[in-house]
Amino acid sequence: MRTGWNWLGVLPFFVFAVLFLVLPTMNIVIGAFRNPQGEFTLANLAGLSAPRIVDSFAISIRISLASAALGCLVGFAMAAAVVMGGVPAWLKAPLMTFSGVASNFAGVPLAFAFIATLGRVGLVTMLLRQWFGINIYAMGFNLLSFWGLTLTYLFFQIPLMILIITPALEGLRREWREAAEVLGASTGQYWRMVALPILFPSLLGAFALLFANSFGAVATAYALTGSSLSIVPIMLFAQIRGDVLQDPHLGYAMAFGMIVVTGIANLAYVIMRSRAERWMR
Amino acid sequence: MSFLNLDHLQKSFGSTQVVHDFSLSVDKGEFISFLGPSGCGKTTVLRMVAGFEEPSEGRILIDGQDVTRLRPNQRQIGMVFQAYALFPNLNVAENVGFGLKVAGVPRSERASRVAEMLELIGLPDMAARFPWQLSGGQQQRVALARALAPRPRVLLLDEPLSALDAKIRVSLRNQIREIQQQLGITTIFVTHDQEEALSISDRIVVMHRGIAEQTGTPPQIYNQPATEFVAGFVGKLNLFDATVLDRASGLVSLAGSEIRLNRPIPPGRVSLAARPEGLVLAETGIPAEVTGVEFLGSVQRLRARVGERDIVLDRFNTDASLPQTGDRLHLSPELSRWLLVSHEQ
Amino acid sequence: MKRLWSWGAIIAGALYFLLPLIGTLEFSLRMRRGEYSLDAYRSVLADPAFRATFGYSVAMALLTILLGVLIVVPTAYWVRLRLPRLRPVIEFITLLPLVIPAIVVVFGYIRLYNTSSLLPLTGSATGTNLLLLCGYATLALPYMYRAVDTGLSTLDVRSLTEAAQSLGAGWVRIIGNLILPNVMGAVMSGAFLSFAIVIGEFTMAALLNRPAFGPYMQLLGANRAYEPAALAVIAFAATWGCMGLMQLISRLASVRRTAR
Ligand SMILES: Nc1ncnc2c1ncn2[C@@H]1O[C@H](COP(=O)(O)OP(=O)(O)O)[C@@H](O)[C@H]1O
Ligand SMILES: [Mg+2]
Repeated sequence: MRTGWNWLGVLPFFVFAVLFLVLPTMNIVIGAFRNPQGEFTLANLAGLSAPRIVDSFAISIRISLASAALGCLVGFAMAAAVVMGGVPAWLKAPLMTFSGVASNFAGVPLAFAFIATLGRVGLVTMLLRQWFGINIYAMGFNLLSFWGLTLTYLFFQIPLMILIITPALEGLRREWREAAEVLGASTGQYWRMVALPILFPSLLGAFALLFANSFGAVATAYALTGSSLSIVPIMLFAQIRGDVLQDPHLGYAMAFGMIVVTGIANLAYVIMRSRAERWMR
Repeated sequence: MSFLNLDHLQKSFGSTQVVHDFSLSVDKGEFISFLGPSGCGKTTVLRMVAGFEEPSEGRILIDGQDVTRLRPNQRQIGMVFQAYALFPNLNVAENVGFGLKVAGVPRSERASRVAEMLELIGLPDMAARFPWQLSGGQQQRVALARALAPRPRVLLLDEPLSALDAKIRVSLRNQIREIQQQLGITTIFVTHDQEEALSISDRIVVMHRGIAEQTGTPPQIYNQPATEFVAGFVGKLNLFDATVLDRASGLVSLAGSEIRLNRPIPPGRVSLAARPEGLVLAETGIPAEVTGVEFLGSVQRLRARVGERDIVLDRFNTDASLPQTGDRLHLSPELSRWLLVSHEQ
Repeated sequence: MKRLWSWGAIIAGALYFLLPLIGTLEFSLRMRRGEYSLDAYRSVLADPAFRATFGYSVAMALLTILLGVLIVVPTAYWVRLRLPRLRPVIEFITLLPLVIPAIVVVFGYIRLYNTSSLLPLTGSATGTNLLLLCGYATLALPYMYRAVDTGLSTLDVRSLTEAAQSLGAGWVRIIGNLILPNVMGAVMSGAFLSFAIVIGEFTMAALLNRPAFGPYMQLLGANRAYEPAALAVIAFAATWGCMGLMQLISRLASVRRTAR
């Protein structure tokens, strides 16, 4: 008799999630298929094919792929170094705390930090010029470019990777490594045949998450560039603020496009994970 | 020259020495058990043989080759771990074939060897299963097959049965012994369970605090324990307060009765002792008062008091009536089998 | 060999993370020509808008933590106790904020809760503050839920609950006096992250037009040269300081609890 009312306990959660997560998202998705009169239309989506918007999606996706890939690589290396690399154990706690803060406390101050470091008069830019005679701006570097933004995004991507992958690395049992070793496997063979396949689902998940993380990032890019760099979130931001695209419903379509991209990234993750995990329960 | 030689091995972690001067010669095809309480250094010696720990002192030779500085993957050793340690991402066949694959054995040859190994462990139909689909006993058998597949020179087993239920433990230990004898592989088996060690070993090394206290066949270890520790750890032991009358001829006195041991008593502190099943009741002799009786089916176990000591005495369950608590009995000085155990310095 | 690689990765990473921090610090001291000075800091701290926006964001962060705890702890507890089959669903929902960009969510808020809707939250300052608070709680949801759920996994929730019930405790008492103190460490680690997310958050606050610290920093960055660097240093230091304070409080609280 009591079990029938069990769902009441999670009602507040679901009400909250529906009101502030599901409904707003649905509203955008539906809006993407409606014209200002509220009729069904595909014109908004067709508007996404404008060269400006296609370009913005292309550069956003490229930056997100690059920063996710590099973030995964470097974050993995650092996490592996701390978990199994034979460095002192006390290094782990500060690294994890730092990662927790840095992965979230990015945004506007991060942009300032990189301007102060790699901007035209930033510390590293100046030191490189004074000490080594290297002028990175003369060599074509620009903080407001693909590589500049990728390098900046890594400041929160790497810590996020460290946070995600450390528990997975700690789940690798010592006996697996030793069993492989005593059976004649080299370190490389162990990683290729045992460790990486076991970690594969976690790595994929981390990649998808890092991708979505940088794809939706607004603050850092906006503070770096104003609205001069046309990546998707910046264009959407400007659109929401001031209808720069003239057509308000194109904003719905862009937001919908963002959901689709991060959705695809995560769907790919789910599918590949279910394939990789045939050995799991 | 024996097949496997551990030559004066020592191991320290930081400032604590956990293995002291450990030497052992193992013949080809021999089954050796390391027996001792938890923390006595069994695993550490085994891991030095496998190459996971480097000895602080001493050498390890396999078939005349000094392997002390070789990496584990160069030693051609098979190892079975306590917690199975199967690769969770590989199925049974891939697990068993792992060692062959990394050695570059061609696929067809690998497949037939894997099939042969699965036959050997009695799991021929499980090739496509993943570890999580197997019971603990099955997983451990697959681990054994995996270790044996590349034809290692030495097989090491670190408490392979202690994670299993009692019943499977007995059947699997017999299976391990059968397979070992069938293949004639030199084996070191680590355990803290004396029954396990006694039942399947050619020889046992009893370890205590990083020292090999005694090495011998199971009957030697049980019947002639060299030290009090060995005697107490392997089986149950009753100690008595006896007085030495004559060291040279082995004459002692216990509670007014004289006992002839018919062998000289070694110098130093020694104790008179006896196993529960080595004590025999008689009409006259050493007086004992029954303090408790347990009926264990095939055996009757009496608890009794001799002088200041509490002892345990086992008798086969014959038709003879069970003694009662409070009964006064006598232990036979002549028929009982007495042991002498030396004390540690 | 392995150690060499590890140290290499750690040192390269540390350089990458430390250089921008050092660069910012150095830059913030350069305001006066030819010498290092604290002028930029003086200028920032003298700005009343700095104090107002920072205070606003700290308050929002604390409220977000409170709201997050109120939503997450009872839910995670209840799911473990009575509705284990709902776990995948709840987990999926709590992961959504990591997948749906914040800018999309807040865009939805603006359209859904505008002045002509059923729930015209954006019509008043209080309503918009509430909306922003809920938005922040949504952003923090993945971290809060995971932290609390991990904390609960170390408890035997069922036995604890049954023991409390047999002593006659009600639900509010069980959650408030029994479960919450036991997962306090986990709640705190979730709270740290929530704090870090909220304190400098830009997108939601800017689009909802609230006077938060994130938009203030952005505005300053667009108009000044050295003050932004000083602001970044202050923001980093303040965040770490607040987090240290919270850690201290939670530690004191747990000491008091164990001493009792
Ligand atoms: N890597 C290590 N570092 C420090 N001490 C260790 C290490 N490995 C084992 N020991 C210590 O060495 C002693 C023997 O351990 P071990 O060989 O595992 O014992 P056993 O296998 O007989 O239970 C124990 O006291 C243990 O704490
Ligand atoms: Mg051990």
